[in-house]
Amino acid sequence: MTAISGALARRVGLGSGENAYKCYQCKKCSTGCPVAPFADLHPAQVMRAVQIGATDAAVDSRMIWLCSGCETCSTRCPQGIDIAAVMDELRMIAREEGRVRKDTPFAHILKLNYDSFRRWGRLYEVELLALDKATRPSSLMDDVGMGIRMFLKGKISVLPTMGDRPQMKRMAEAADRITRGRRGVAQAIDLPDARGGAR
Amino acid sequence: MSKLAYYPGCSLHGTAKELDSSFLGTAAKLKVDLAEIPGWECCGNTAAHATNRLLATALPANEMAKVKEDMGLDRVAVPCAACFARFMATNHDVQDPETAQDVEQVVGRPYTGGVSVINLVDFYHDEVGLEALGAAVTRPFDGLKTAAYYGCLLMRPPKVTLAEDPEHPTHMDAVLRRLGCEPVDWTFKTDCCGASLALCEQEVVVELVRKIVANARDCGAEAIVCACPLCQVNLDTRQGDIKAKDAAWRDVPIIYLSQMVGRAIGVGERELGLGKHMVDVVAVMA
Repeated sequence: MTAISGALARRVGLGSGENAYKCYQCKKCSTGCPVAPFADLHPAQVMRAVQIGATDAAVDSRMIWLCSGCETCSTRCPQGIDIAAVMDELRMIAREEGRVRKDTPFAHILKLNYDSFRRWGRLYEVELLALDKATRPSSLMDDVGMGIRMFLKGKISVLPTMGDRPQMKRMAEAADRITRGRRGVAQAIDLPDARGGAR
Repeated sequence: MSKLAYYPGCSLHGTAKELDSSFLGTAAKLKVDLAEIPGWECCGNTAAHATNRLLATALPANEMAKVKEDMGLDRVAVPCAACFARFMATNHDVQDPETAQDVEQVVGRPYTGGVSVINLVDFYHDEVGLEALGAAVTRPFDGLKTAAYYGCLLMRPPKVTLAEDPEHPTHMDAVLRRLGCEPVDWTFKTDCCGASLALCEQEVVVELVRKIVANARDCGAEAIVCACPLCQVNLDTRQGDIKAKDAAWRDVPIIYLSQMVGRAIGVGERELGLGKHMVDVVAVMA
């Protein structure tokens, strides 16, 4: 049984600036969430899991990787909690703790997207799609016909258009360095989970 | 002639080329001088704020520092709704002094605000203005019934976008009315299309798109007008998937607001890019 713990809420608070304990479970976020019907947990349940420190429920949920970032929850929360920012924070914690679920393709897409604009200065759509197909076998046949039709209509640029790549490189490296320092305190908080205490 | 900086963003050089060309075409006709930001870079999109908050804030700050310091301008037009939201988030976040300090270290120079960000709808509604827009109309639509689809990121979160009425916006409706369209009342004005989940959670996106398009059609719309490259691509391309399972499905054309304005004020066909759509738009744009 999961022990009740404040560790996850503390860590989410340090990273995102959001206080999960302000949530009183009115579920307004959940009723407006467009992806809740497809997810394992709805947003209010994610907030509850953060409050009681159920790391396995929150950080390992499919919900955090189904969130489209539409911000409906953050807009409507009567307590002013930026719930979408909590979802983002749980994604960052999942990466830091090496516990990104393998069956959540959006986590993979976001990583490819992040790497792509850092590499080129701009998002290189064709590279992203090609790398996704190369590294996620289940995507191989998805939308091939549509891709071809979009290409024929000239909606797909084969070659990358580049921004100021040296400046992007400088900014990305500086942001990594500063963020590592800032997140160190939060990362030092051990997260208990159902698989036997602190990891 | 007023002068603005212009930030196209990645989509407008890829899947949303017709948004870029039609927007530029309307700006030229409406006598707004747009200067593209030299060497502009990705705004960071969802991937940045889900991975590294500081980089997410710094990328638009870098662009707006260029607008202010290098170009000597104080306003930037950002027609992509997703980029617009990221630029507005930066203007909001740099008000915090500690964030501003970190951003300065990343960008290499300070940016603490002062550049106004203008989205596609308010470009026509406020920058050009409804009066001037109305005066420029040479080929009005003949009462075409349109559903104004705002989506998520023009509106939310309102503390960042400064949207007046995030649950029931009306500016796009007002612009469409000036073009001779008849905007319909409908339910899904600000609902999410699923955005980039389209790349991997197709079932989710197809269902979200189905609800949005079906509601617009049930409310009488002959076309849906949008202001976001992700909304346009999802609503336009996913109707084919819906049709594959539902033979009775009737397609609804998905058109950028800039294409609607362009058609009404006489922008050339090439710039309008009407041939780039999956669901045919010629019947409603003729």
